Amino acid sequence: MELTPKVTFLGLTFDLAVIFGSLLSAAIVLIVTILATRGRKMRPGKLQNLVEMVIDFSRGIARMSYDDRTAEKYLGFTFSLFLFILIANQLGVIMMVSAEAHHAIPSLGITEELLKQSHEISWLKSPTADLNVTISMAVAVALFANYMGLRKSVKGYFKHFLSPLGVLHVIEEFSKPATHAMRLWANIFAGEVLIVIMLTKGPIYLTGLPMLAWMGFSVFVGAIQAYIFTVLANVYIAQKMSSDH
Amino acid sequence: MDLNILAGAIMIAFAALGAAIGNSNLFAKYIEGIARQPESQSKLFGQTMILFGLIEALPIIGVALGILLLFGVI
Repeated sequence: MELTPKVTFLGLTFDLAVIFGSLLSAAIVLIVTILATRGRKMRPGKLQNLVEMVIDFSRGIARMSYDDRTAEKYLGFTFSLFLFILIANQLGVIMMVSAEAHHAIPSLGITEELLKQSHEISWLKSPTADLNVTISMAVAVALFANYMGLRKSVKGYFKHFLSPLGVLHVIEEFSKPATHAMRLWANIFAGEVLIVIMLTKGPIYLTGLPMLAWMGFSVFVGAIQAYIFTVLANVYIAQKMSSDH
Repeated sequence: MDLNILAGAIMIAFAALGAAIGNSNLFAKYIEGIARQPESQSKLFGQTMILFGLIEALPIIGVALGILLLFGVI
């Protein structure tokens, strides 16, 4: 397991690798979309074509759960969620920046006994390979879904929980964000850890070929999980908004 | 022997077993569907991949927790 630099601020511990990773993926999303939309033409260029394809794709995702008019309202949410997770997932596969450390750096949370385990310090990794990031995204989606349910009708929202099987619905409210977050985290985390294991434990002429195959599979899994996370987020919100609940 | 390592190994093994059973069911039906209606392949492929991602989720959660146990993080 590689080390990550950590900073304690106001009693909370922040993982710098995750913060750099999420900032970098947010910056990539911002720059790509700004570049693609700046000089819009009737005959789109390569980049504009690509982003239009992604927008059409997210419109398809949104239309799976909402009716056509509401889908346009949620298009921005769907598009940015999908693109952010897609790029964040690929970050750890394509580029892992790590540095060697030979002295303890107490201000970054790297102590002597941790250095005995490994000298590698990674400065950049997939933000979605950290459970805190995915949990916060899933909880934000769950809170927004419940808010939309309450705004639709307060009576209908609570009637749902007071039915004979209401306890099951209460449990469901907690298990939904938990599995939503764990599904994305576990896929990306397992992918990254296996790459690190193959890079560090064993000669490269034995692990090289399986590692390349696994990296290709990780790119594929990252794309599918980004898609599934976005679809499920929309489904959870649409469930609360629909009238039969 | 450290029991954490045994626990992690058992978790990963059973996760692989479950994923194998689930995926084999899914892809067997997918091939069956293509054999009956070859023209619906492109439509079925997308649906199969979504379901593949959903099935793969629980085994991979087991694998991730198993890895954490193997390395002694939890």
